[in-house]
This record gives sequence, structure tokens and C-alpha cells, in this order.
Amino acid sequence: MLTVVKKEFKSCFLAVKYNIMREMLNPVTFVTNVLFMILNNASFIIQWLILYSLQDSIGGYSFKQVMLLWALAATTYGISHIIFHNAYRLSDLITDGKLDSYIVQPKNILLNVITSSTSISAIGDLLYGIIIAILIGLNWEEWLLFIFFSITGAIITTALAVISGSTSFFIIKGDMIASNVNNLLVHFSTYPEGIFNRTIKFIFYTIFPISYIVYMPIRIISKFNLGLTIIVSLVTILTIYLSFAIFNKGLKRYSSSNLMSARI
Amino acid sequence: MNAIEVKKLSKTFKVKTKEKGFKGSIKSIIHPKYREIKAVNNISFNVEKGEILAFIGPNGAGKSTTIKMLTGILYPTRGEVHVMGIDPAKERKKLAYKIGTVFGQKEQLWTHLTPYDNFKFFGAIYDLDEKTVEKRIAELVSIFELDEFLNTPVRNLSLGQRIRCEIAASLIHKPDILFLDEPTIGLDPVVKEKIRTLIKRLNKEQKTTIFLTSHDVGDIEKLCKRIIIVNNGKIVMDDSMENLKYHYLNKKIIEVKLNTTINIKDEEGIEVLKAKEHNLKISVDTSKRNISDIIDLIGTDKLIDMNISNEPLENIITEIYKSTK
Repeated sequence: MLTVVKKEFKSCFLAVKYNIMREMLNPVTFVTNVLFMILNNASFIIQWLILYSLQDSIGGYSFKQVMLLWALAATTYGISHIIFHNAYRLSDLITDGKLDSYIVQPKNILLNVITSSTSISAIGDLLYGIIIAILIGLNWEEWLLFIFFSITGAIITTALAVISGSTSFFIIKGDMIASNVNNLLVHFSTYPEGIFNRTIKFIFYTIFPISYIVYMPIRIISKFNLGLTIIVSLVTILTIYLSFAIFNKGLKRYSSSNLMSARI
Repeated sequence: MNAIEVKKLSKTFKVKTKEKGFKGSIKSIIHPKYREIKAVNNISFNVEKGEILAFIGPNGAGKSTTIKMLTGILYPTRGEVHVMGIDPAKERKKLAYKIGTVFGQKEQLWTHLTPYDNFKFFGAIYDLDEKTVEKRIAELVSIFELDEFLNTPVRNLSLGQRIRCEIAASLIHKPDILFLDEPTIGLDPVVKEKIRTLIKRLNKEQKTTIFLTSHDVGDIEKLCKRIIIVNNGKIVMDDSMENLKYHYLNKKIIEVKLNTTINIKDEEGIEVLKAKEHNLKISVDTSKRNISDIIDLIGTDKLIDMNISNEPLENIITEIYKSTK
């Protein structure tokens, strides 16, 4: 069992390595994409600086906590899109019948598919998150938690992308659901939790679990709580399980296609 | 021993239908209607180990659907499939180590990587250690003559070079069966011939079973000893190439060059295909008329040159397709 897992990770690691190698073939595009993403994200700091010059707390968050929220959202998004970028294209891959080459290989199909592509600009997101985390001056315990929740957040985000993408196995135009879910996830995860009303918060803790990606981790990093850390870990495991279960269930309905395609 | 066993295999797709126009679109949301398409309908066949089989049919006949069920890409609606004794729907990973696939219309290679890097990646996918991969790459480079472009990114290769690399990559783990879905599509005659020679060599030297689908009659004629023809999801013929030719080659094409103009009309067993000045092309059904009858009809004194040939395999297959529509 352990050997199988090791072999699965080895091929995933190789795929990610080759993906990044491909992007580095054009260094100018690579560097500009990364830099522009950092600048793009940085522009939002100005918006928050203006807001915090008017009042000390927004939605129960201090300026430091909002910056921590942005740092965590950026690293989460960055890790997810660097390693699992194809999870966000899953819907199109299913609709266009482009899973064939992955199915005939002796590896886990889902892992094989989602690690087959990377996003260069996501490297900018990751770097931006790390820079912000350095600037707000986290101590070593906070750093450990920050890294841990960046990983759990990236896994939950990816799992949600897989689940929403897998709807294409079951319904026509599932790509619209997937695209909406992924966009909402990015937008909502960059605002303080306190500005949302109870109904929306309920949604964030249930069917659309943004809270476990950023809000709960922010609370834990600000004031450590073992119970909440266990809950976040359990939700991470649950979303992994659900993503694999739904994808594998859907795979039985996969209908392939005879479209001309290339693996790029 | 059989490499592939297929029993009463069927695959049905559910397709949504809608009436014409905007009204039809609204109706289809409220009362969606579906119709079933039987892509593969109750087919059974076996393929022996080491055999080269042509699995052919017109577009939409069910060839690709069958190949996809044999490789574990699609789940059958009904029936049984065993490839090297493995059920593709139940043991996909186990099967993957035993088969290689090349889809002429779909690239499996990473286009930004060189063939060498691709082979290394495929080696890791099939859990081969470094030493084995290097040895295997050396073998494949020699068989497929890939030396010249081994370190050129795949996107810069010609179509022929890319297909050679695709086939080589699919063989990195020494599969027992190679599924080739239109491997020579879009290739020029010289490269086609090269690919055919390589496939033949592979079958001969490594005893690899080849399951081939192709619209190219040359592939079928030059590679395969057995042919299965499918149409409308059903097998309409499963026979050896020899028998196919024997049964369908009653028809001969006679081309003659004459020293004068003669007038021959269509009659039982004779069909004039082309008549232009002193040249004549006739199709003769030898089960109804002898060749000597035709020579007598023309008259030996008028003959300058004569050529008798078999009906091209392409015409035979087209006729089978038409007759089984």
C-alpha cells in the first residue's frame, strides 16, 4: 500500500516538475506573469489601507488579520493552481472527452489528470502570500500554522474544484457550475468573515466550506485552538474523500469523444 | 491462447433530443427527451496472442467505442470483456501494464518535452527503474530510428516522427497488446510504409498482439491476416484476409488497349467501367462469365495490350459497408 502511494506521488511530482520546466522554457513570459500577479494582488492592499484609515476594525478583523487573510488566500490559491491546475479545467476535459490518455495509464486517474498542468501566475500568488506573511511578522508558531493551513486550504480548494468539475459527468453545461464555484471561492475568501450575515455564514460552514479554507485558520493562527485544528483537518480529509468518490462515480458515465486533441 | 475475449458486448449512449427552434429548446428544459444510441450491439469475438487484427468499419460503426471498452476507457452497458484475462472495467490499472495504446487523432506525448523526456516520464508512470528505462529507450530508439530527433521537443517534430514517438512511448513497458486507432491518419505514403514495417517488425520480434483500426486499406492489406468488419454496431464479417479476397475476388478488372474502336455493352457478368477511344476498362464477374468469353468478345486480333487485376480491396470493403447498411 505504502509503495503504491509512493509511486503515485513520484509520478505526480514528475508531472509537476515537467509542467514547471515547460513554463520556464520562456523566461520572459514566466517572470512577467509572476511579477504582474504579485503587483495585481498588491493593489488590493491600498484599498484596505484606505478602509482601515477610516475605522480600526472591519467585520471583526484588524488590519493585520485582513493581511493574514490575503496571505493565506493567496498561498492557498497559489499552491492549488501550481500543483493541481487541471482540477480547474476538469469540467472541459470531461465534456470534450479528453481523459482517455489518463485512463489507459496505470496510475490514479484523478491525481494523474489534475497534476498535468500548472499556472505560472499562481507562482506570483504563492510568492505574494509569503511576502505578506513575512511583512506582518508572524512568529515561528504562527508560521507553522500558516504553512499547515495553506496546505489544507489548497487541498480543500482543489477538492471543491474537482467536485464542481465532476458535475459535467452528470449534467450538460456542468462547466458553468464549476466556473461559478471557483470564482465565488476566490471572491468570498478575501473578505473578513464578520461582514457576512448568519445565512451566508451557514453556507460557508456547510455546502460551500470557505470557512475551513481561510476563516477558521485565521482564528486558529490568531489564537491557537486544537479542537478547531482537528475540525479543519477532518474537513480536509472529508473533501478529499468526496472529491475522489464523486469523480470515480462520474467516470462510469464518461463518454469520451473522437475530437482531435493534443496534450500541451 | 486468446489475448482478447469479447462476449455479447454492447454499449448504449443516451442522447438528449430536442425539437427545432427556440420553442423546442424551452420544451426540452421542461420535458427533456432522450433517445438511446446503440454504438456497439451484442458483438462477440476473440483475438489470439501474437495476431494482427484489423477491426474496421465506416465512421460511426462502433470501432472506437469497442477499442475504448477493451482499454478500460468506457464501461460496457452489457457483455463481457477480457484482455489478457483481465476485465478492463474492474482492473483498469492491472490491465494498463499489459497494454499500449496509440490514438492517431489524440496525442499522448507532452508536446513541450523531448521524446527522451517523454519516455522517461512514461517509464515513471509504468514504475520502471532508471536502468530499465534507459535500456528500453535505447531499444526503442534503435527499432523506431529516433536518434535524429530524440532531443527535439515533440511540438517541433513532423507528423510522421511524432507518430513513431507515440508508438515508441506506448511500448516503453513492453505491453503484450498494442491498440492502434488509426495510427497512419494524415501521413504521407512513405511514412505510412515505414510505420507499417515497424509494426510488422514489432509483431514478429516481440510477439506483440496488434489490434488495429484504420480507414486505410493499405494498413489492413499489408499488416493483417484477419479482418473484422463492423457496421451499425454489429460485426458483419469476421474472416481471414485470404478468405475475404477469395470470396470477394470473383470480380476482375480487365484493361485493354485496342487497335480499333469496338462497342461492348453491359450484360450479365460484364460491366463496362470506362471506354475511351481505343482503351477499355471492364469489370467481369468470373462466377458468371469466363475471362476467355471476354477475350472472344473483343477479338484477339484487335488486342494490343491487356491487363487483368483483382478488384481493389478498398472497393470490396466499400461494397461490404454498403450491403450491410
